[in-house]
Amino acid sequence: MIPHDRADAPDLLCPIMPDFNSATKLSLSGPEPLAALLAAGEAPSGLWRPEEMAAIFRHQMAALLEADLGGLTPPAARRLEAMAAAQGAPARSFADLLRHPSPPLELLEMVKDFAKTNADHPENGLPKEIAAVLYYACIAAALLRLKARISKLPDADLGRGLRWAAAQPWLDEETKQLLARALAGITGAEARDASGL
Amino acid sequence: MAGEPSASTIFPQTDWEALGGQSNEGDVMRLDGLIRRYWRPLRVFLASTFPSLGGEQAEVLLQDFAEDKLLKAGWLQRANRQRGQFRQFLKRSLRNFVLDRLNRAEVKNAPVSLEELVEELPEPEAGAEEFDLEWARVVLAETLRRMEEDCRNPEGNQPRRSQTWELFRLRLLEPLFQNAAQTPYEQLIARFGLKSPLEASNMLLSAKRIFKAHLVRVIQEYTEQDDATAEEIRRLEEFLARLAKRRAIGAHPA
Repeated sequence: MIPHDRADAPDLLCPIMPDFNSATKLSLSGPEPLAALLAAGEAPSGLWRPEEMAAIFRHQMAALLEADLGGLTPPAARRLEAMAAAQGAPARSFADLLRHPSPPLELLEMVKDFAKTNADHPENGLPKEIAAVLYYACIAAALLRLKARISKLPDADLGRGLRWAAAQPWLDEETKQLLARALAGITGAEARDASGL
Repeated sequence: MAGEPSASTIFPQTDWEALGGQSNEGDVMRLDGLIRRYWRPLRVFLASTFPSLGGEQAEVLLQDFAEDKLLKAGWLQRANRQRGQFRQFLKRSLRNFVLDRLNRAEVKNAPVSLEELVEELPEPEAGAEEFDLEWARVVLAETLRRMEEDCRNPEGNQPRRSQTWELFRLRLLEPLFQNAAQTPYEQLIARFGLKSPLEASNMLLSAKRIFKAHLVRVIQEYTEQDDATAEEIRRLEEFLARLAKRRAIGAHPA
């Protein structure tokens, strides 16, 4: 279970650690760790390890929309309230939105834009793979639940993106199914177009 | 740091009048601070370049170098003109100073034979390498010391600043320098109460930015100029990477 709101409790969770004693630790160190440390101030890529993607995606899905979207517009906030009320339980996370039977289109578009910005700018910090999967998941949810197209990508490109996203080994089963079903819809339409039906 | 000069200044006998217009007190104090900080690399360089010198003799020579050489004969002015190359300039100066001293000692029938010393001198590169490695250690240790101090005692209302240091320590320092396993992502977010991957990434990026800012400041104290600082960081990176690669090959020859 990922905590939503523990910002007030970090002192209990994180007691002050003893000093690192940099001079002692580094005085016998070889060149390799020193080189790695020196490089730490450089490019922001590689913050997290590939094997951590599953945990990061779970965290992303559990995160509150408001926390990452930096304050919702009033209409989006009202739609979120309505969505929460319709579910009868607090529904404010990314997972809530993507799994809702009738998600607000405006919110899906906002999350898609948030994901695209992060995928295009890795210096923002969100792993590019996580941002890209989130991007395609929003498009998939709009296609499947609202029969709406919120992407201008041609079917072939969208199909490639959905296929790539669904194939990520760290993805949870529910999101994988969402992407796979949207992909099936796209490729079905492509097949129908090709056969002239 | 062990072996660092213990007096409040390494230039206790400075004759300011004799220096005349060549140096001002600010310049000398700045130099004093730098030589104190990098005393250990200088000592390591001396020991590896002139292995026949005893520890006490080396320490005396180093102190003489600081007092006799650095403040005289326009050394400070030449160093100022070569700020971007301060590290190399200091290293060359010390080597030349010691060779000169030993030469004179030989003439005066010194207890240590110059001939013997020169015969035993390793390749200049060996001492230079030890010096540069020790220099990098001091630069990085000083950077971390300042970063930790900054994070633990932040200016203004920055309640998460100490967590930023802890995250950096857990995620980078302990795995690098204590062979500790990296704390898994899920433990980190629980420990620091991070609400989303973006917040987690931002905190780690913030730690790296703080580290970089202190690194630049530490190096800028001897290079003085922005472009020379960037160049010095690049040189240290290249040196460490080259040395790491060579040692790895040496440890596991084909």
